[in-house]
Amino acid sequence: MQVKHLAVRARLRSPWESIDLGIALARKYWLPMFLVWLIPAALLLGPLAWFFPGHPGWSLFAVWWLKPVFDRLPLFMISRTLFGTPVSALAALKAFFRQNRTDWLAWITIRRLSPTRAFDMPVTVLEQSKGGARAARIGVLHRKHSGAATWLTLTGIHLETFFLIAAFILIYLFIPEQVTANIEWTPLVRGETLALEWVSNVLCLLIMAAVAPFYIVSGFCLYIGRRIELEGWDIEIQFRDLVERHQRAQQSRKPTANGASPLATVLLLCALACASLTPTPQAWAETLESPQQAQQHIDKILAAEDFHRIEEESGWRLKDFDSEQGKIPEWLIKLFEWLFEWLSENADEADDSSGINWGALLAKPIELLLWIGVITGLIYLGWRHHEAILNSVRWQPNAKTKAAEAPETLFGLDVRQSSLPSDVCAEVLRLWRAGDQRAGLGLLYRATLSHLIEDFQFYFGDHLTESECAQLVSQRQRTPEGLQRPVSAPMSQFVQQLTMNWQQLAYAHRPPADTQVGDLCQQWQEVFANDR
Amino acid sequence: MLDTTYNVETPEGIDLRARAAGPVPRILAFAVDVFYRTLILAGLGIGLAFAKTAGMGIWLICSFLLEWFYPVFFEVLRGGQTPGKKAFGLMVVNDNLTPISWGASIVRNLLRFADFLPFAYATGVIAMTLGRNFQRLGDLAAGTLVVYRDTDKVPMALPDTTPLPPPRNFKQQDQLALISLLERHDDLSEARQQELANLLEPITAKRGRAALEYLRAVGSWLLGGRG
Repeated sequence: MQVKHLAVRARLRSPWESIDLGIALARKYWLPMFLVWLIPAALLLGPLAWFFPGHPGWSLFAVWWLKPVFDRLPLFMISRTLFGTPVSALAALKAFFRQNRTDWLAWITIRRLSPTRAFDMPVTVLEQSKGGARAARIGVLHRKHSGAATWLTLTGIHLETFFLIAAFILIYLFIPEQVTANIEWTPLVRGETLALEWVSNVLCLLIMAAVAPFYIVSGFCLYIGRRIELEGWDIEIQFRDLVERHQRAQQSRKPTANGASPLATVLLLCALACASLTPTPQAWAETLESPQQAQQHIDKILAAEDFHRIEEESGWRLKDFDSEQGKIPEWLIKLFEWLFEWLSENADEADDSSGINWGALLAKPIELLLWIGVITGLIYLGWRHHEAILNSVRWQPNAKTKAAEAPETLFGLDVRQSSLPSDVCAEVLRLWRAGDQRAGLGLLYRATLSHLIEDFQFYFGDHLTESECAQLVSQRQRTPEGLQRPVSAPMSQFVQQLTMNWQQLAYAHRPPADTQVGDLCQQWQEVFANDR
Repeated sequence: MLDTTYNVETPEGIDLRARAAGPVPRILAFAVDVFYRTLILAGLGIGLAFAKTAGMGIWLICSFLLEWFYPVFFEVLRGGQTPGKKAFGLMVVNDNLTPISWGASIVRNLLRFADFLPFAYATGVIAMTLGRNFQRLGDLAAGTLVVYRDTDKVPMALPDTTPLPPPRNFKQQDQLALISLLERHDDLSEARQQELANLLEPITAKRGRAALEYLRAVGSWLLGGRG
């Protein structure tokens, strides 16, 4: 058994949480455990049905009584799975008798009705302890978890019963009403119909086999949870992990120290030389000779107070809420005061005439409230649709929604056409040759955007990126829309190319070749030739 | 690694962790609630027996309200805990771990009807058992979850040590393990504690009693003690 191979997270759990973990674990490996429980039990019930067809009740009782015998195989399987060496259902079935060797008589006699069966079973099956050793072990384990184990068993018993009844009701619900009307209930209730009894037995067997893995694994997880608590498995796993990391780190440190390539060393020296040429502020206080000294120095600093400052903040603070909200407005209080006064006056009147007329008394304020509701509703409706109402009243139809305003800057570039020089290409090439590559290509890109916006009515919102703008252009080229000016294929291609070059230069500092800039300028002139 | 925890990350990047509660404690908590409800109804029945038919009517209305709104009342106004859930340290929360709202609580309780079918909450139990976070149908519909309520840690007596700073490269998990070793000095046997301390020999270069003392000293430093 290797604790580090544990398939569940080792942490301290309450008994209930251990049971929950058992449910989750059983759910994951349910099918093989179900089969391993069902097959031996069915192999017993089958012959019993053959030899004693008249005693369905006793046959089922025999299977039920031998539950501890069948429980061992699922327990054996899940324990192997939990520690990383899973066994197949077939292999588990072959081990049936071997697993049942320890204490089998005790389990089907005096311990059969033990309420902590699932919790105690692992001590027998996995630890193979008997007699005094077992009693001592159980005593230690039971100190904290026996209550939960008992409740687990009780819940299991009830669930099996309820599931059986539920299964019958489910079947009954599916029988047509004409048929159910003719059923004679008396013999059924008295248990005089053998066939039904055997059907019930089979159902019961299936339900027992279905519930058993959950019960067994929950008990097993209780046992594991208790052992994690008693033996500190969580600490052990973490410590082993830490040591492993530590050893790996030491191993990896050695080869890098010795085997650094000469090229890297030269490069590093060059970098250091460059760095030392430029005047930098003195970042260290004293020079340390050897790595050991440096290490000690680091350790000293790390152990100092600066790296171990703990600040504890606790307690609830109220956020700064708007104090206006939540307060009852003054006018509402006034209204209610007035209402109550008015009410009491009316009550006096009612008193004068003929006792208290509660109906009339209540009707007045309700009527008032309803009127207030109607008026508020009307005002709300008017306010909600005031635009539509105003529009319909006005004689001439309102101008359609304002045309989206062309932006003045995009990506920090001024894209108004007025800001462009008269001969864009000449300016671009001049800047490029002068060495100001960013300004040059930037101007070309800016001019393109500005022409696209002003001549082709493109709307580039603030939220778009450069490539999204280019996508818009190619989209219009592929599917031109009615009113907008169409975009030619070369233009779309040019925009894509320019955008790519501009992105490369602007963000990656990778300028295009000189010839390509020339090409781009030429293309620009061709594409936007008829605009000028 | 299989576990029953339920994690939520808030928009601020804070990880919230809750421990989802499974069918067994939930069934038992429900049984406790049923017991209380039966007790109340029995008391009411005896009290109203004198009012004849009117008493019967009032009793029926009360039983209706108790059946459907007893959990809603406690869940919303008592921090997600009906008396039964409180007994088992459980609470209902929304599945983003915020306190449960009226709407969610009403939905999850009205849908108990679906979970009840065909008998004795069979559907609900099956849904809880098979669901990733032990939610029954009502929980799934309302977006709620039953979790264990964290209990306050009680201060405990720690062995006397002069705190020492930890070695470098200790991750948070390692530090937690060290603290756990210190806090469980009473629950773990002395031999086992030394055995655990010996595991760290490559780092601490100590064995046995000395190693344990050293780890305890580091643990108490991590808990905020300073020599």
